Amino acid sequence: MTNTHLKLAGLAKSYGTFIAVEEFSLDIAQGEFIAIMGPSGCGKTTSLRMLAGLETADRGEITLAGNRIDQLPVWERETPMVWQSLALFPFMTVRENVEFGLKMRGVAGPERRRRADDWLERLGITTYADRNVARLSGGQRQRVALARSLVLEPKVLLLDEPLSALDAHMAIKMQGELKKLQRELGITFVYVTHSHSEAFSLADRVVIMNAGRVEQIGSPQDIFLRPRSKFVAQFVGGISLLEGKVSGSEGSKRFLDTRDGKVRLSHSSGLAEGAAADLAVRADRISVTVEPGWGENEIACTLVSEEFAGAVVNLHLATASGHSLVAQLQQRDLEQLDASIGARVYASWHSDDGFLLESAQQSEPGPKVRAA
Amino acid sequence: MTSSAFPARTSGRRFHFLFNRAWQALWVLPLPAWLLLFFAVPLGLLVAISFWSVVNYRLTPDATLSAWRYVLGLDFLWASFWRSYGLSMASAVAISLLAFPASYAMAFVAAPRQRLILLGLAIAPFFTSYLVRIYSWQVFLTEGGVISSVIQAFGGKGESLLNTYFALFLGHATLALPVVLIMQTIALANVDRTGISAAANLGARPGAILFRIILPAARPGLTLGLLFAFLLSYAEFVSASYLGGGTFQTLPILVTDLVRAGQQWPRAAVVSLLMIASLLITAFVTVLWAYREKG
Repeated sequence: MTNTHLKLAGLAKSYGTFIAVEEFSLDIAQGEFIAIMGPSGCGKTTSLRMLAGLETADRGEITLAGNRIDQLPVWERETPMVWQSLALFPFMTVRENVEFGLKMRGVAGPERRRRADDWLERLGITTYADRNVARLSGGQRQRVALARSLVLEPKVLLLDEPLSALDAHMAIKMQGELKKLQRELGITFVYVTHSHSEAFSLADRVVIMNAGRVEQIGSPQDIFLRPRSKFVAQFVGGISLLEGKVSGSEGSKRFLDTRDGKVRLSHSSGLAEGAAADLAVRADRISVTVEPGWGENEIACTLVSEEFAGAVVNLHLATASGHSLVAQLQQRDLEQLDASIGARVYASWHSDDGFLLESAQQSEPGPKVRAA
Repeated sequence: MTSSAFPARTSGRRFHFLFNRAWQALWVLPLPAWLLLFFAVPLGLLVAISFWSVVNYRLTPDATLSAWRYVLGLDFLWASFWRSYGLSMASAVAISLLAFPASYAMAFVAAPRQRLILLGLAIAPFFTSYLVRIYSWQVFLTEGGVISSVIQAFGGKGESLLNTYFALFLGHATLALPVVLIMQTIALANVDRTGISAAANLGARPGAILFRIILPAARPGLTLGLLFAFLLSYAEFVSASYLGGGTFQTLPILVTDLVRAGQQWPRAAVVSLLMIASLLITAFVTVLWAYREKG
């Protein structure tokens, strides 16, 4: 990023022997929409809380617009947050909730009210201004939470799984509104979520975390099409993995020796001869046939199960050596495939569609504990 | 599924319905039974007795207003009433303020396990008789007692502290402080922690968080703690008598005086009814305020 606006450098946080965040560095541009994803306990929420000042980092620096902010107490940071539980103040009316931050900044009554009312109107909740927040619906409460933070006109807005309390329909509606708001305001959003669809549809860049470390940072397309590690591939899902060793080449193509035979790939990815690697193939790039001899790379499998997923069907296959593969087929392709559960089928793919992931030890999911 | 295909099902459903009703009744019925037995009936008796008369030191059923006329005509009645009310309210406020820092520490500083131990210690005084605790205060407060000896050792006069408002307040605190401590701690421990973080995140400093977030959020519990301290102090007789020495004629003292001097049960009943009425009004107003909501 050329115009870095918010910079997190080498943040780390442990609780006793539990390492919540081992190392987190990220440069965020002004107006960027960043989504941080990962399994429970991966350190995504801790990172966000360090940004807000609710946790003190053991190491590392945070700078906002060139000023260091990690030394500031929570109440002096201009990084309001939208909480998973919303954390509205139940003993205040909607308007009082929205005015709260301004009141804490010593903004005078009439000015405060004017600015709060502006945001109530902008988010379409003016009607509820004098109501108790407990008597609002989920979507309305969500808007109050947004108004309460945005009324402060922050440069950065932090969001901690803000839509997880809403039902699916409302969550999708709010996703659209959030994206629109973010574009209009040009504010940087740092958005923590465990939802793939939220992260991929909203963010400019997605950060995937695992066990306190960043696994990959990239555009949603990048992460989806080119996961860099086994962990990311498994986390994003819909990717089949075959373990093997790099062995030999033929022209521009290289080979991977797997327990189910040699497969060819176009992308060499600079791995040395004999290196352990995983071949990754996306489910929608694998074809399934009853007869062999259709593809460049082909493995005989047993059809284990079918999973209906709307317009497409996921076929789960098992190879002779026990690798499991997933192939995604259109409904009409499935109708032409004359195979029942337990039948022998052939999975094939083009060598351009396979890519290698380094078999790294640290990619195992789950929380990590520092050695004593 | 039709009921004709499964004829047994209908009677089974009926049995379940009756069983559920009986099970509910088992839990619901004791409440009205107790209320009737321990509140409505005694209150009815008290009201009835207030219209009886005393003939030759004996309580005699009657329908006279003489007890009411006598009590309401006493020139020191309202002075006693307001003294009782004022002293108990002052005690309640002082006890609440005294308990608050400890409750705050237990709710926000102590770990959940430590909180349990501390609360247990706070309840420990209840294991000894209230009378014993009041008598032991006498040992501390009396002339030549623990406190006056210490003061005399430093060259002070070391007069008896008994029969002072301070002594009476100590009695009230001995009775009510543990209850207030528990109620405040529970109220504060249940304040939404995320709400506190959210307030800090929006720019609230620790002082503002206490007064604008924690106190409003814990208001029902804190107010009920105050109300309990008031109720306990208001009806309190033992320390009013043993530590206050009857110097402050409160309504409970008046009740016992009326009974002792000539078995005036009807007059004592009138004073008791006045106390009950003022208690109920105070409790009602306080609870309404405690649970009032905005918007």
